[in-house]
Amino acid sequence: MNEIVTLVSAAFLLIGSLFALVASVGLLRLPDLYTRMHAASKAGTMGACLMLIALAVHSGDVGTVSRALAGVVFFLLTAPVSSHLLAKAAYSVGYRLHKSSVRDEMAPEVEK
Amino acid sequence: MGVQAIFDHAVTLTLAILCLSFLVTVYRIIKGPTLPDRILGLDMLVAIAIGFIAVIGIKTGYTLYIDVAIALGLVGFLATVAFARFVLSRGKTEDDILTEVRQAATDARKAAKAKAKADARAATKTRPASGKTGAATGKGSQP
Amino acid sequence: MSLFLVNVLLALAWSAVTGSFTFLNFAFGFVLAIFALSLIREQVGSVGYFSRAWRVISLFLLFVYELVLSAWRVAVLVLSPRMEIKPGIIAYPLKVDRDFEITILANLITLTPGTLSVDVSDDRRILYVHAIDASDPDATRRDIADGFERKIMEAFR
Repeated sequence: MNEIVTLVSAAFLLIGSLFALVASVGLLRLPDLYTRMHAASKAGTMGACLMLIALAVHSGDVGTVSRALAGVVFFLLTAPVSSHLLAKAAYSVGYRLHKSSVRDEMAPEVEK
Repeated sequence: MGVQAIFDHAVTLTLAILCLSFLVTVYRIIKGPTLPDRILGLDMLVAIAIGFIAVIGIKTGYTLYIDVAIALGLVGFLATVAFARFVLSRGKTEDDILTEVRQAATDARKAAKAKAKADARAATKTRPASGKTGAATGKGSQP
Repeated sequence: MSLFLVNVLLALAWSAVTGSFTFLNFAFGFVLAIFALSLIREQVGSVGYFSRAWRVISLFLLFVYELVLSAWRVAVLVLSPRMEIKPGIIAYPLKVDRDFEITILANLITLTPGTLSVDVSDDRRILYVHAIDASDPDATRRDIADGFERKIMEAFR
């Protein structure tokens, strides 16, 4: 039982760190701010949450598990809000989409 | 004991992968063409730092680290919100600022040229009357 | 909501009676309280409570599933050697109208595959969504309407 818990925790750690790596590679490779935001807000959040869950699984006592889960929920609530705020601010200030973008249905709204 | 060895290796590997992603994100922050790109990079750094804290919490056994992680998440969120407000209140992109600066430089150059021309004209006008001092003031006022 | 309170109170009573306030015992008491409430559901009118609880749980499960899927899709996209993406911003007409529901929908959209909410129009009718693959906007709109929006309306109305 204890060994399985340890192995599960190790697996969560590895998967979480791989997602963090994927998010930062996405930050490097994707063409513009808005597509980079996809990588940071999904894979990055996922990576941090998985590593917190790994800590919860490894420790196994109630206080730590509840605090870790509170951290995960908190992170899941705040990550989309902050990326949404940043995207809204950047778009309304005038950072344009990359030239590979195929449509922009928000443009007439801003020009109004 | 095999399981424990596997676990130790996994922790080391995780630290290595996190270091790599930290470096990649820092590269994006240094290179990042615009301010929002850098803010996004900082947001990502906070997520990676939370990962680091979780791994170190597991490695050392101090579960108190999880409070640090939660507090760091809170601070990172507030920092991103504040930066977004800053981007909004600055109200212009890097391109706008560049064009503004170029425009200002061109205007200043034009003004300086016009001023120099006017000074030169004044100097040629005053030179016959007051001789050497008029030429000296003309030269001195040239930018 | 008051039924949820009753549920928690019953679980607390179970913990007090059995004399141990460990997490497992409290969870067992909670399950017992749910069972007790379901026995008298006709009398206290808790039929809606159970179906709503089930819908909220299924919304949460859908959310976790979509989060894992979206992280996986981003990973595949980022690691593919030639990135061929057609990003764009799509206008999505909202059916939900309360602030609370719009907030949840926007948050869920951000954490799901290929979409990121950018802005809500001033009259709260239109949600602007940045999609990483905007070549077929109607399909994206249909996905959101049939997935999260329907689940949110089921869970909170």
